[in-house]
Amino acid sequence: MIEISAISAFYGKHCALDGVSLTVQRGELVVILGANGAGKTTLLKAIGGLVPVAPGGRIAMAGKELTAVPAHDIVAAGVALVPEGRGIFGEMTVRENLLLGAYPARARKTEARNLELVLSLFPRLNERLRQTVRTMSGGEQQMVAIGRALMTAPDILLLDEPSLGLSPIMCKELFQSLGRIRDAGLGILLVEQNAKQSLKIADRGYLIESGRIVGAGTGAALSADPAVQRAYLGAG
Amino acid sequence: MTLTLDILLSGLVLGGMYALIAMGLTLQYGIARIMNLSYGEFLIAAAFGALFLFTGMAVNPILGLLLIVPASFAANWLLYRVVLTPLVKRAKNQGMLEVDSILGTFGVLFVIQGIMQVVFGGALQSYSYLSVPVRILGTTLAANRILALLFALVIGGLLYLLLTRTRFGTALRAIAVNPVAAQLSGIDIAAASGLAFAAGGAIVGAGGVLISMFLTFSAASGVIFTMKALIVVIMGGVGNMMGALVAGLLLGIAETAVARLVDPGLTIAVTYALFLGALLWRPTGLFGRPAR
Repeated sequence: MIEISAISAFYGKHCALDGVSLTVQRGELVVILGANGAGKTTLLKAIGGLVPVAPGGRIAMAGKELTAVPAHDIVAAGVALVPEGRGIFGEMTVRENLLLGAYPARARKTEARNLELVLSLFPRLNERLRQTVRTMSGGEQQMVAIGRALMTAPDILLLDEPSLGLSPIMCKELFQSLGRIRDAGLGILLVEQNAKQSLKIADRGYLIESGRIVGAGTGAALSADPAVQRAYLGAG
Repeated sequence: MTLTLDILLSGLVLGGMYALIAMGLTLQYGIARIMNLSYGEFLIAAAFGALFLFTGMAVNPILGLLLIVPASFAANWLLYRVVLTPLVKRAKNQGMLEVDSILGTFGVLFVIQGIMQVVFGGALQSYSYLSVPVRILGTTLAANRILALLFALVIGGLLYLLLTRTRFGTALRAIAVNPVAAQLSGIDIAAASGLAFAAGGAIVGAGGVLISMFLTFSAASGVIFTMKALIVVIMGGVGNMMGALVAGLLLGIAETAVARLVDPGLTIAVTYALFLGALLWRPTGLFGRPAR
């Protein structure tokens, strides 16, 4: 569905992303594991159009060219990013945040259905539609952030460390919700520090180190890989 | 008693004008992120437009709004697209854009002011439209002032509804709250900023027409209105419509009270005293939240 081939990104002269290629299909949850500073966030930002892709790389969505396209057009093509730090409108209500998600033309026709999906995934938001997002807990804000992204009617959802700062219970609920979103037919590209839980629900995974993909495999295969266990699962 | 009422009513009219033009500036500054120093020049240009239509073509200022407001919208949109968009594109951060836009619009200020000086001369101007006294609650107020206040209320109210009750208005506020998340919601920030800037221009155009009905003005008076709008915006909190309304009314009433009770020459001093007080007491504005 989304095809990323050989993309690189630079901050000044520093190469943060070095020829990364990967794909995500619809109905598939793909996780990217890597240490801090490995380039995970840069990768998602590059796909979302927030960081420019160096010449030579290519991003395409169902054959449609998305390289060097402004961020709002990438959303219009069906790729929604939930950035680290959530990317929500803190001064606005939950309802306004969700309404803004449905801003792209592609999202208008299915707005009611998407809202239903979001509220069934996160029933807590239903009681809080009039609450200002800034006053909510971290977990609830994350629900708003994912809800806002789902309201754009995406085919591919990019999530940057959604479990960051959440309590273990919230974390578990979050991963369950991600599984349900995948089962609804969306493709999910998930960047996570929480390797254990994310590999448990992931269909496939990639390992990233110093801006390069250094390994790939199914979720089960990666969980069983001794090198992965040492580096990310805290074993041995 | 009559004096108090008189001050309140006159202050309300003046304050209503301040609030209206501050709303326009907060659109330009809060959403399009442009500190427009030539803002007041558009107000004076609109005032000259109303004067020309009324004295030259016998078109009353209220009808004149229908012509001048769209013209001011278009002129501001062009200013944003032609002069300011290159600055927005090359700015690496908000601080750089602020400096560049202040310098750029400072230049625009002199260009517009110069053209007005040449075309209309430097003299104080005014015209007499509906300047008949109307008795309200035992005091009198000119009909044109009442009309100006009414229209300011209607225009301000419509703007408030646009920003809070429509998806497009919500998108405009979203840009002010979190520009990155706005892009990720599929909002084209460059296009929306241009429209917000133009809408601010339409508001100041309306303000210019309304103010010209009861105040004298000259080609050089623009900067006074820029300054007052800016003070009201900062007092009310950048991007905050309710704040602009309250701060605008407060400033209008305070200025009128001092002019009547003490000395008209002190109005500027009052403006700054209020401004300083607000900055010391609530630096993020009357309705602003403390900085995080």
